[in-house]
Amino acid sequence: MKTSKVMTAKEAVSKFIGDGMTIGVGGFFHAISYVITHEIIRQQKLHLTICQPSFNEHADQMIGAGCVDRIVSSYVWMEVFGPLHCFRRAMEKGIPHKIEMEDYTNFAVMARYLAGALGIPYIPINSMKGSDMMNYSAWMGENKVKLVQDPFGSGKEYAAVPALTPDIGYFHVQRADEEGNCQMWGIWGDAPWSMRACKQVIVSCEEIVSRDIIGRDPNRTILPGYKVVAVVEAPFGAHPKHTQGYYDVDRDFIFKYIRESQTPEGWQKFMDEWVYGVEDREGYLKKYVDTYGMKQFLGLKARDISSSSVNYGF
Amino acid sequence: MAAKYTDFTLQELMAVAAAREIKDGEKVIIGTGLPLLGAFLAQKTHAPNMVAIYESGAIDCKPLVTPFSVADSVLAPGSAMQGGLIEGLGIVHAGELDVGFLGGAQVDRYGNLNTHVIGDYRKPKVRFAGSGGSNDIGAGCKRTIIMMLHQKQRFPEKVDFVTTPGYFRGGNERERMGFYGDGPSVVVSTLGILRFHPETKEMYLQSYHPGIKIETIKANTGWELMIADDVTETEPPTLEQIRLLRDELDPKGVFLGKK
Repeated sequence: MKTSKVMTAKEAVSKFIGDGMTIGVGGFFHAISYVITHEIIRQQKLHLTICQPSFNEHADQMIGAGCVDRIVSSYVWMEVFGPLHCFRRAMEKGIPHKIEMEDYTNFAVMARYLAGALGIPYIPINSMKGSDMMNYSAWMGENKVKLVQDPFGSGKEYAAVPALTPDIGYFHVQRADEEGNCQMWGIWGDAPWSMRACKQVIVSCEEIVSRDIIGRDPNRTILPGYKVVAVVEAPFGAHPKHTQGYYDVDRDFIFKYIRESQTPEGWQKFMDEWVYGVEDREGYLKKYVDTYGMKQFLGLKARDISSSSVNYGF
Repeated sequence: MAAKYTDFTLQELMAVAAAREIKDGEKVIIGTGLPLLGAFLAQKTHAPNMVAIYESGAIDCKPLVTPFSVADSVLAPGSAMQGGLIEGLGIVHAGELDVGFLGGAQVDRYGNLNTHVIGDYRKPKVRFAGSGGSNDIGAGCKRTIIMMLHQKQRFPEKVDFVTTPGYFRGGNERERMGFYGDGPSVVVSTLGILRFHPETKEMYLQSYHPGIKIETIKANTGWELMIADDVTETEPPTLEQIRLLRDELDPKGVFLGKK
């Protein structure tokens, strides 16, 4: 029996996330670990470099809280829901402080992770060429991206992007076992490559299951446990985002955040209520039910569209 | 009964115009909003074999209800394959897709798009989302359909920042970059439909939407806009297209506006 890596979000963040670290944040609109994000904010981690192909309100909240100095991404916005105001205030006016962003494309960030995960220094890609993303960089200078000739003589040029290997990553999945073997379905987003590129990983999950459950469907494992340092059980841990098969996205709540964060004061009020003013995820959910009622909370739960099982027999 | 579908809104006209750009059997990467409605309208009418792909990794999706987001949980059940960004965008990057949809804060005379900043990149007046998958789609898809709000500041002679190259400064400049994609084929704007000259690659007006004057379109474009010799009014939607949009694709009016 291996040692259990199960702990609370509070323990995981305090033990493994330090000021100044480069952090790979997992998920793509779907399955964002809010349980870990909010804990990072409550523990006031500082000078972080956060990386993700596309960021939403979770980045905005960390930026507003002053945790972030640098962003590696292609997108910080929330689709048709609208702009993220802390991000814009920081980029346009330096509120609460100036932040820097290395602008890539969605695929380019994935290519950087892929190179990191495979242990190679860079990957040449077709994207980015000819765009102004080639001409401007922040702290990385000329090491952000380089135009390279195909060494095999096709005469074609590619944008070479360097490997990205964050100090630690965190992501949210449906289920994991105590050793940190993670299973995920629905939209993988940047997983598995983002997490495979990280040196260590914190996973939050809807349910902790036995090693036997994992072994019965190993093709569904998105990350094997050896890299995982902490397993945090957190039902509704991605709310207000969705987790396939567990609950849907809470659009009204996302609209509420975007509406209220239009001013720094409105943002502070939202955060005092929903992040700083609650102890942990359990407190957050209790507050949600107290505010909106059990009926609305349960209304988020996913309907049952189960798959058939397959035979792994030999 | 049919009378209720005889009127149409600008959004509906644009969704139908987008749908007409898609051919049966094509592989299409879809965003949110009007492109999404246009693509699924095409699939329900003249392009039943269209393969709908999302950058979030849903391939050949058949959603039971219209998705609200590129990562909506309605995308996975029923899809032929569900992966992640490497699966969804990897095939775009490899040049395997026919059509992609793009939009942005600015588009210029040669179809270059800006979704980064208004003003100086380092000291932006307004900062926007960034590329997301836009640049990947522009480089990889065989052709792209651009959907834009048509205002003078959004149609400048030259964009403030090139997020997604169109034809650069025209002619064969794009060809020399060796992209898989041939570039934008059409701009469906809120005022008309614009295409690109086969040689100079300059944008020109092909049709104006019903009730819109050519002069208005020229006045809302930041350069001397070329007008096609055979310029005409944009073809209105059919009753069936309007019915499908309102009753089947967006019954709650999420993208078309609440009724």
